[in-house]
Order: sequence, then C-alpha cells, then structure tokens
Amino acid sequence: MDLETVKERAGPRQFAPKDDMPEEYRKAATRMIQFHANSEVMGGYLEKPFIRQAPSIDRKLAFSAKVQDEIGHAQLLYRAAESLGVKTRDEMLDELARGEGKFLNCFHYPMESWHEVPMIAFFVDGAAMHRQATLKNTSWTPYAHAMDKVCFEEGFHVKHGESILSELMNGSKATQEKTQAAFETWWPRIIQFFGPTNDKSVHNDFAQEVGLKTKSNDELRDTFLDTYVPKAEKYGLVVPEYPRIEYDEELDTYHVNEDDLNWDEFWTIAKNASEGSHEQINSRSQAQAAVEWVRESMHSWEGASGAGTPQAAD
Amino acid sequence: MPATLNPEDLDAEQRAALEELLFRLADDEYVHGERLIEWQIYAPTLESDLALANVAQDEFGHARLWYDLLEELGHTEAELIWERPADEFRHATLVELPFAEGDWADVILRCYLYDAAERLRLDALVDTSYAPLADRVGKVLSEERYHLENAQSWLDRLAEGDSRDRVQDALDRLFPHALSLFAEPDHEEAIIDNGFRTMSTADLRIEWLETVIPYLESLGLDVPEPDEVERPSARGRDGTHTDHWDELAAEFRRTYEELEAPEPARIGRERV
Repeated sequence: MDLETVKERAGPRQFAPKDDMPEEYRKAATRMIQFHANSEVMGGYLEKPFIRQAPSIDRKLAFSAKVQDEIGHAQLLYRAAESLGVKTRDEMLDELARGEGKFLNCFHYPMESWHEVPMIAFFVDGAAMHRQATLKNTSWTPYAHAMDKVCFEEGFHVKHGESILSELMNGSKATQEKTQAAFETWWPRIIQFFGPTNDKSVHNDFAQEVGLKTKSNDELRDTFLDTYVPKAEKYGLVVPEYPRIEYDEELDTYHVNEDDLNWDEFWTIAKNASEGSHEQINSRSQAQAAVEWVRESMHSWEGASGAGTPQAAD
Repeated sequence: MPATLNPEDLDAEQRAALEELLFRLADDEYVHGERLIEWQIYAPTLESDLALANVAQDEFGHARLWYDLLEELGHTEAELIWERPADEFRHATLVELPFAEGDWADVILRCYLYDAAERLRLDALVDTSYAPLADRVGKVLSEERYHLENAQSWLDRLAEGDSRDRVQDALDRLFPHALSLFAEPDHEEAIIDNGFRTMSTADLRIEWLETVIPYLESLGLDVPEPDEVERPSARGRDGTHTDHWDELAAEFRRTYEELEAPEPARIGRERV
C-alpha cells in the first residue's frame, strides 16, 4: 500500500498485519507503541516501592495488582509493536535497558513519598486514560485491541489513585500541605505529559494523517484540563499560578500558556538525559544485567529440549 | 469431623491456640509477599515477572484472609500489621531474608521450600474444626498448587547445567532457615486436641522432608542433613528474627507512621 492510500483510508482500526503497510507507517507506529510499552515498564518501576509502603493491606493489594497490570500492558504493547515487523520484543527491551528506549516525561522524576503517589496514580494515570481512550480508534488494529484491555484496567487504577488523593486531602493539616506541595511540583510535568505543542511536535502531523493518533497534543491537553482542574479543586488542591491556565469562554475550554512551561527540561528528558532518567534507567538496567545468566540459561534449555519457558498464570 | 466451632464458642485456651496458628499463617504469607514484590520489574523476562507478581499478589491476598480471621477474634488491622512490635511477628526466618541482586535461584528455591511446606500445612487444615478457617482453606490451597508448579518448573531447568551451582548455594543458605517453618507452637497440644489442625507439626516436618529431599536430590543437589544443620540463632516462630526483619518492618510502616497512624483504608468491602 502506498502512503497516499494509507492517508485516504486512515480511520479507526483500518490496518492490520495482513496489510502491506509502507515503511513510514510501520516505523511511526513502532515508535509510538514502543514508547507506550516502555512507559508501562518505567511507570511500574516508579510505583513499585509503594506496594511495600502502602498504609493499608487493601491499598497494598491494589498497588501490587496495579504494578502487575502495568507489566501485563507492556507485554501486550510490545506484542502490538512487534506485529509491525520493524523490531522484535527483545530488541525493544534491549534498547530500554541500554537507555535508548524513550518513555513518558513523568516517569523520569523520582517519587519519594506517599504524598506524591496520587500525582502519578490519579493525575498522570488520568491523563494516560484520557489519551488512551482516543487510541481505541487508532488505525493500527493490534494497538487498538491492546487499548481495549489497558483502558479497562486503568479505570480501576485511576479510581484507586483518586481514593488516595481524597484520603490525603481529608488528613491532617500537615498531610494536606505536603500533598499540595507535591501537586505544585508535579503539576507542570503533568501538563507536559501530552507532549510539545502542536507547532513544535515532530511526529504529530504524520501520526494524525495516517490515523495512528486521532487527537492532537493540544486538544488532548485542553480536554484533560477541563476534567482535571475541577477535580483537583474538588479535593481542595489549589492549581498553581504558573503555568497560567486560562479559561476560554467562547470555546468552553481551559488552555495553558505554553511559554510558562520549562521546555528545556522537557527536551532534556525526552533525550533520556536528565538526572532522574539516568537514575531510573540505570538501576533497572543493572537489575536486568544481574539476571542475564537466567536468560542465557533459558536459551540453552530451549535449544536443548525445544521446551517452552514457564508461563505466567491467568 | 465437620467444622462446628465459631468465634463465640471458644474459651480462652482455645482462642490462644487458634490465634497462634493464625498468626503463623498470616505472617508467613505477608512477609513472603513483601520479599517477592522486590522482583517486580526486575525478573528475567516479562512472563516470569508476571508469574512471580501473581504469586506475590496471592500471598498478600491470603495474608489478608488470615488477618481477617484474627479481626473476627477482636483484633484490628492497625494492631495486626501496623503497630504490632516487630518481635511479635511469628513468620519463619526463611521468608524475611533479603535477596542478593540477580539471585533468581534464591527466589525460586525459596518459593519451592516454602510452597511445599505451605501445601502440607493447608492440607492439614482442610478438616479443621474451626468453621471460618474451613471456609477459606480450599481457595487458598488451589492457588498454592499453582505456586508450587511454577517453582518446580523453574527448578527443573535451573538445576541443569551451569546454573545448578547457584541453586546449590541457595539451598545451603536457605535450608537451615526453612527448618524453622516447623518449630513446634507453644499451644501445639491444644491445636491438635481441639481439631484446629489435623496433623502434628512434627509429622508435617517429616512429611516435608520426605517430599523435598528426594525431589532436590533427583535434581542432582546435595541436601544438608536436617539434624546436623547448624541452625541460625533467630528462629522466627518465637519472635526472634534476623536483623533484616527490623529493616523490612520499618520500610513497610514508613507511610503509616508518616501519616500519623491513619485508619487503614478498606477498598470496596466493609470492616468485619
């Protein structure tokens, strides 16, 4: 299929592995899905310590289920990315371990206290849900199928994140203040979650033309703000003065003043070059290197017996 | 014998015996789960990561079931988990030991030793006289069967070739701690006489040894002689623990303390 035909036919779940897709499409889709899969792994990495640190047994179970879900999502997404025939899953996992794989800006920052947990578990996950809901209509069918399952499970995660936020904002004055401080630190990062503004985005136009994305970064960010600014306020959080967020009465939508955001930091992170990127990538990478001997043994068992490796339950 | 006893039927001695049994069950599962989650995101492959995360999730779920039974007897979650002095936890030292980085042989062997014991212990509770326990054993047992299969299917492979030495190291290190699973409870006599458990701890130990030793030897491993093993001074069951335990307990209570002892949140269910 040539690129013109792809653009003409672009629409929800229009293309599947049986279609002969042009290289530009396959590369763009791989980049996007691999980024998404990497983000699931690195998001899980960031939240994992809070399984242990959760302050109730129910929250511990919910968090442990959540991190497990993220790994499951990564597995699904790498499979969807693999279906484009550009890279194998092992290649993508190697890239992530080597620090070449890209992932969401928010997962490059350390998360150190429970007050920060809802910033990821409610706002970032809420933003992810918001974006992923539109990706159910992506043109690459395996990706859309993955989104069906991911969105279903993420719904529970966001609800749990909201419940943590509500608990914290109903806690002592000190707890409320610490939560507000965490919110102020995370808020600009959350807004940048949606990526650069349309005019600065490198891949936006093409991805929309071929139906991989159905909404622009700006559209997603604005509609996210429409939902989440009122939610933040409902729990007693005060939206910081900067970045300025203006309400456009005519269009009935919020809009952020892009110049108030630190785009140098964003682009540094996008290159995996921030301090947090190094810290997070390296510690995971070190842990992965430490079990290289297991993977090597697995190859030799498979070679010897032709038997599969032990599988996950469920 | 059908399970006929309920919380209101228990006298003080029966209650103390039952609590000792439940604390061991709950604490073992809880602490084992705490260690297993360390592997999330760090396991050798996505599949093994999911499988182990699944096991950890089950263990936390089982711990919650057993702690719920203790709540039925009048304890609160805060007392049971968040404020109980660390030296009153009754888990075996096997489950509290940290992992060396990348030591997949340790986690697999530890799961095997533990799951084999857990299965026998649960089998001995199927016909318990305590009704709330009888109601829950079946579900837990069915999940534990899968844990044991997962551990064995890995062990069968790890014991081949170069990785066998790593399994042997783990076995030499863990076996003395595994023996502490079978320390006799203070209320052993009451536990048996009241039919809370239908097999004695001494018999469970024998059956466990008769299960794990032939299997491990069939993999070419040297199993230490149980009665000659040098035992660690910390025994777990009596509240003595290794130094790693205090550290772990402080970590899982960090948020609870930081938030100044909040009422532990329940999600989608009522307090007993």
